[in-house]
Amino acid sequence: MRLYLFLLVAGIVAIAGVLVGLWWAPFVVGLALGIVVRRGRIGVPIGAAIGLLAWLAPLAIAHESHGLGLTATSLAAIMGFDHQPAVPLALTLLLGTLLGLTGAWLGASSRGVVTSVRSGT
Amino acid sequence: MFVTAETAVAERPAVQVASASRRRGSRLPSLNLLAATLVSAAVLYAALFPVGPLPALGPAFNPITGAWTMAADAQVTDRTFRLAGLQQPVKVLLEQDGTAHLTAQTDHDLFLATGYVHAKFRLFQMDLMRRQGEGRLSQIVGKAALDSDRFELQLGLLRTAEAEWNALAADDEAHAALLAYAQGVNDRIAEAESMHQLDAMFTLLGYQPRPWSPIDSLVVKGDMTQTLNFTDTPLVMALLNKSLGADLASEWFPILPPNAQSPYDLGPYSNRSLAPIEAPGLVSDAEAASANALLDRLEALPPGLIAKGGASNNWAVGGAKSSSGGALLAGDPHLHLTLPAIWFQLTMDSPRYHAAGVSIPGTPVVLIGHNEHIAWSLTDAQNQQTFFYQEHEDSTHSGQYLWNGTWRRYQTVNYDVPVAGGPTQHLAVKLSVHGPVISERGQTTSVWWAGNVPSQDLRVLLDIDRSRSWQEFRDALRGWYSPTHNFVYADERGNIGLISAGYYPQVAKGRPWLPMPGTGEYDIIGTIPFDDIPQAYNPPANVIWSANQRQVTKDYPYYIGTASNFFNPGYRANEIHRVLSQPGKLSASDMQALQTDTRDYLASEIVPVLLKSLSSEHLNATEASAVALLNDWDFRMETGSVAASVWWYFWGWYLTETFNPWWKSRAVKVGMGEVWDALGQDLEMWTLADPNNRAFSAPGIGSRTAGDALRKSFRQLIADLVKMLGPNLRSWTYGRVHKRTLENLADVAGLNYGPRADRGDANTPLAAGGYPSTEGPSWRMVVDWGSHTFQSIYPGGQSENPASGWYTNHVDTWWAGRLNPMLSADQASTAAGVRAWSMRP
Repeated sequence: MRLYLFLLVAGIVAIAGVLVGLWWAPFVVGLALGIVVRRGRIGVPIGAAIGLLAWLAPLAIAHESHGLGLTATSLAAIMGFDHQPAVPLALTLLLGTLLGLTGAWLGASSRGVVTSVRSGT
Repeated sequence: MFVTAETAVAERPAVQVASASRRRGSRLPSLNLLAATLVSAAVLYAALFPVGPLPALGPAFNPITGAWTMAADAQVTDRTFRLAGLQQPVKVLLEQDGTAHLTAQTDHDLFLATGYVHAKFRLFQMDLMRRQGEGRLSQIVGKAALDSDRFELQLGLLRTAEAEWNALAADDEAHAALLAYAQGVNDRIAEAESMHQLDAMFTLLGYQPRPWSPIDSLVVKGDMTQTLNFTDTPLVMALLNKSLGADLASEWFPILPPNAQSPYDLGPYSNRSLAPIEAPGLVSDAEAASANALLDRLEALPPGLIAKGGASNNWAVGGAKSSSGGALLAGDPHLHLTLPAIWFQLTMDSPRYHAAGVSIPGTPVVLIGHNEHIAWSLTDAQNQQTFFYQEHEDSTHSGQYLWNGTWRRYQTVNYDVPVAGGPTQHLAVKLSVHGPVISERGQTTSVWWAGNVPSQDLRVLLDIDRSRSWQEFRDALRGWYSPTHNFVYADERGNIGLISAGYYPQVAKGRPWLPMPGTGEYDIIGTIPFDDIPQAYNPPANVIWSANQRQVTKDYPYYIGTASNFFNPGYRANEIHRVLSQPGKLSASDMQALQTDTRDYLASEIVPVLLKSLSSEHLNATEASAVALLNDWDFRMETGSVAASVWWYFWGWYLTETFNPWWKSRAVKVGMGEVWDALGQDLEMWTLADPNNRAFSAPGIGSRTAGDALRKSFRQLIADLVKMLGPNLRSWTYGRVHKRTLENLADVAGLNYGPRADRGDANTPLAAGGYPSTEGPSWRMVVDWGSHTFQSIYPGGQSENPASGWYTNHVDTWWAGRLNPMLSADQASTAAGVRAWSMRP
């Protein structure tokens, strides 16, 4: 139960961080997640999911209030992907995901090293 | 699948394993940490720092503050907000199409609010324009822009702007206007930064705009002067002179136009202080080599830095010839058509100003438009304002040049040019008495350019915005130096006028259409007196017009440039004159129709001669069909016309057939396209009046006449068109081969509009030269003082944000040749869909 609560708080903190402009929040939250959660097989994917959600939520809100279609099309054009608005969207979400994932992975692997040293293996 | 420390060690029950396995297991956590660290570092690096052409991805795609904010920025709603520096509340109304109406209680507030509104919708454009003129593009786009920056710093827009600003007295109204405007721009920059609303291009290029200054506004003005007025024609002429020989060069590229044109100022002219013009002579090898080197450099610069000809229309009709009884005015300046456009439409109202029309973002005035009493528009006057001087140097006087018999040391100005992704470059600019040295390959060449003469054009425009009569309008223009413009005028009392205001440099002696020795005898000694420059007021015919043609007849006593430097051949002016001179009265709708007139005057002259030359020829079926279509053609370059396509290509084939053998035999290094218009005027006149001219009998061709060249060109053309467009002649419609594109200002092809089939060509009042055509009517305005109606349109929209509904919302109306009413602020306040901003001190 405590794990779920922790994950919920982590998700909220990451989303709130991004909402106030801290794009790197998923990385920091992921890092904490990786350190705290013992099971890396769970922590790392959850870190990635939190990164995805943290970057997706503001975009979803913006899309709801302004519509992002023209913006995505324009960004695609600027990036050289004419008429492929999915490209900037995918790139943006990929970046958020990677930030959460790498943060969690780094945290989990750090924890692993510490544990390994302590156990003397 | 990620391997973690837990999977390797912590989560497993303690078991006894073989020692080898234990050693491997003890290494796994470290390897995992190393891998995680490396991948995290790569992701964070790409997120934090630019990599190659990519921006720092984190801030660039930050959902809250990154490029995605262009969606929020595109929303324009009613607002009440404070603006630093205001003295009184200001009201801004934004029509449904984005047209802005600013009403201020003080002049200061009007200019401040104008700066804010410009920056709100066009900040990136403004930043690009100042960077271009100040040689600071490399700082954001890297070394690709270094040549442009070096050239601009040599040419000296920044030095001129600084001199202009320093010369403005603190109590000058232009001084106050520029300061207030800069504050408005900076208010918006501060607001945009705090609200994360900077244009996405700032985010993607990874920089913040620095504060705006009055000098930036003067540089933006300089950009326009350069685009319209800085020419390389004397260099081209030097190479032509060298390769073709002095006799052919002077015959084919004469001072006075060889063809019949429609000057608007018919004289009589006063005859004062004439400067002698020397007869043509041969350019030396050294002069030609130097010109060639410099021309190569200029040709390599990005488009738009060198004026390559002009195309704009304006005209006015006096009240006596107007069906409404009031004067009519029409204007459509032709420029590079960009998104966003060069123009921002607005009305500006304060106690002393009531101007409506278009402004250039970065400057605080209405450049073309009307006030309560007068309307005005402008076209480029095209006279020569660029002169090249080859400085005399020798090895015993290092760093010096000979001028008026004494050796003088070059003045040097040093610049550091920051380059994104590379080391800062140093540039030392040498200045002679003539101007900046722009080439040291071969002979050292400096340039005298009227755009480098500090002038208070902004004050002139402020005076024009407030003028109430021709006298005030004309008096204001006494201070206008460069670029020389044909300012057309019409007022509420039915008066019309046209004056080609600006500097007309005169040399002491020499051949100003070629590079001249810099030793002093050939220097600029003055300009044509203001009262003698081309002008006319209330002419007897009650019509007046300009379309970049030479404004005066051959009797005009001053040198103003050659036919190829670079007055228009006059076909648009001739067509406009033809329509305006027809009997009967004219209305505002006639003005609108003439602005979109697609009748090619040159075609109307040449096609009948071509058809006559083919009348006794045996033609194949396709040729005969083409002849039949040309016979029935009304000379209009419409998208559905096949005859228009045949003509469009024919003229190029005919020019090539005539001149290409000369170009080959004389090894001319200048591309024919550089002097297409000048050669066209010759060919027009020879075809109509001198069919046995020696030009048709080029070396290796043998003796022949215009008729021979016409027939050969036509047959070759039809054969080529069959190959290019297929055997079905009916499918050769003009819209298939002639398209127009509105180009994104930041060169993002995906944000262009078009290419889209369009009518017109370089000779028609609806100007659309080139393929695809990227220049044309950048603004159309029609004023009828009889009915007090004002209409306009420009291709584009008010916003530079491509996610905004105001990015291209005017394009379809413009494309269809329609106009929108120009509302006053009062009229706009009751219009549907208007949005209001209340700005408070």
